[in-house]
Amino acid sequence: MAELNETIHQTVRLRIMAALVTLETNEELEFTYLRDLLEVTDGNLGAHLRKLEDAGYIIINKAFVERKPRTYVSATTNGRKVFSEHVAALEAILKSK
Amino acid sequence: MNISPTEAEEALTAIQTMMQKTRRAISSSGAYKFLILWGAIWMVGFLGSQFLPKEIAGYVWIGLDILGGILSAIIGIRMNRGVRTSVPTSSGKRIAIFWLLLFLYCFAAVAVAWPVDGKQLAMFIILFVTVGWIAMGLLLSFASVWWGLALLGLSLVGYFLLPDIFYLLMAFLGGGGMIALGIYVRNRW
Repeated sequence: MAELNETIHQTVRLRIMAALVTLETNEELEFTYLRDLLEVTDGNLGAHLRKLEDAGYIIINKAFVERKPRTYVSATTNGRKVFSEHVAALEAILKSK
Repeated sequence: MNISPTEAEEALTAIQTMMQKTRRAISSSGAYKFLILWGAIWMVGFLGSQFLPKEIAGYVWIGLDILGGILSAIIGIRMNRGVRTSVPTSSGKRIAIFWLLLFLYCFAAVAVAWPVDGKQLAMFIILFVTVGWIAMGLLLSFASVWWGLALLGLSLVGYFLLPDIFYLLMAFLGGGGMIALGIYVRNRW
């Protein structure tokens, strides 16, 4: 049976993962784009992204686009798997109500 | 880790909301710009057809179409800058190429059918633009497919049933409608 994941269950991290798994596997979201989607501050988003990166659920890439530094974020294969297991666990709890 | 069914329901709702918001943000990030651009071009072009001498109106249309093609390509390339893909040919570039090819097809079709009068030329442009619109709708936001079909229907009704006010109908209902829809898409999504 699928289990809940404590790292992902936190509200902001849950929403970050939901946004990232919506993308195709070869796509990444730009940091400020993700920040605007989530309506959080830079610092808040940065802190949650570090936790997800440490857990191996996301990858953070830094690049220069038109001479400006950009940060891109994407979900790892493991991150997608853990997230879908978390969603399955949530649905199982709801069904057992 | 244990949570109540109510918490689980709230978490699932938050996930669904975020996924929907992300999909909409990505898909609508540039679609409205095409609508406003082509709405403005239609309004100016058809008002020109109504009030300017035929030859000058023809040149106005050619200029507007070239401008529209270039701006559509730029919008296509700049779309979804918040999303980066590892695939070499991004969807934005493909969209830009699609619009450029569509205009080449339009010019070719007009050349094959030449000579055509002003209304026929306008209908050629409308047919190709609405094909492009519907294709964009299928790719980016399915709801706008119905608006594209409605515009196509309106144009055909004007062409066959209301030829005397065809240009004015296209300027205000066609062009104005596209601008209004573009603003609506931008604000709603």
